[in-house]
Amino acid sequence: MDTQWETYEVFHQSRRGEPHSYVGSVHAPDPHMALQLARDQFARRLQCVSLWVVRSGDITATDYQDDDFFARVTDKSYRDPKAFDAPDKLHPE
Amino acid sequence: MNLSLPSHNSRGALLNLLLALADDELVLGHRDSEWTGHAPILEEDIAFSNIAQDEIGHSLVWLTLYEQLTGRTPDAMGFERKPEEFMCCRFVEYPKGDFAYTVVRQYLFDLAEKVRLESFLDSSFAVLGETAQKLLREESYHLLHASGLVERLGDATEESHRRMQAAIDVAFPQSLGMFEELEGEQELIDAGVFPGNKALLAGWLKQAVPFLRKVSLTPPVKGENESCTVLCPVDDGGRKGRHTEHLRGLIDDMQKVYRLAPGPNW
Repeated sequence: MDTQWETYEVFHQSRRGEPHSYVGSVHAPDPHMALQLARDQFARRLQCVSLWVVRSGDITATDYQDDDFFARVTDKSYRDPKAFDAPDKLHPE
Repeated sequence: MNLSLPSHNSRGALLNLLLALADDELVLGHRDSEWTGHAPILEEDIAFSNIAQDEIGHSLVWLTLYEQLTGRTPDAMGFERKPEEFMCCRFVEYPKGDFAYTVVRQYLFDLAEKVRLESFLDSSFAVLGETAQKLLREESYHLLHASGLVERLGDATEESHRRMQAAIDVAFPQSLGMFEELEGEQELIDAGVFPGNKALLAGWLKQAVPFLRKVSLTPPVKGENESCTVLCPVDDGGRKGRHTEHLRGLIDDMQKVYRLAPGPNW
């Protein structure tokens, strides 16, 4: 019998209105325990107002092998916002 | 902070109460910290380390209040006392055992802690109520964590049930020692400081017994609610300084560094 718990991906919000950002994952037997364990792993030091957990298996993801999915075979530089300054707010980094 | 005592002759008993609170948290916090690096899964390892720090932090809160009343510092109380001067219940002294025992002990303790703190909310010694209100915010998370594990392990598999029931059989008689009468307790009840350990025990049984039964665990108790009778012996003595042989080892460990250099600046 596989006794390993499932993994849950954890998203952390530091202030109301900010986006939830991905911070890592936890093993847990169910979503409620996952929230509690995520609190201990990720909200102990960081300020936190909300956590989301999502069962890793519930995420539909692209395949690294399938790089055609992201292919850019022709010049698409016209799509880049180079000709004007975007406000800082759009680039929090 | 208003530190005026509810009555002059309740002072000694009040100090006993503060020490019982502080020492329970300090010793159990130390036991919880022994899971650091050893828990069955990484997440619980961190959770228990986190809870250990919280419990020791709560001990500091009570010891700071004790200092304001007596002038003895928290460091002196934690690091200079001999085992027989501690007032913790014997329950928190036992070795951490297997994870089932740890989870059961934590649940029984955290629930008692919640019942105890809630009873302080309308205390005649106002600072007790204010402190309880603050600590309850963390304690209710501790209880959520422990009860979540008991719920899930109580009847998950044959092995988890067997281990959890074995833990209940060992821990329950020990846990009753949390409610041992303090010296001078009647003074505190008369002065409206808290309702007394008999009342706390009744409040605790009322919640613990149905919860355990719901997850297929059988505490040594007959009946329910007000007509509940405990069927096992009570492992007490800690509040009078009669401790298990395990406390000495724990204290030696905890005081080792301090004894090398007494009175350090951390």
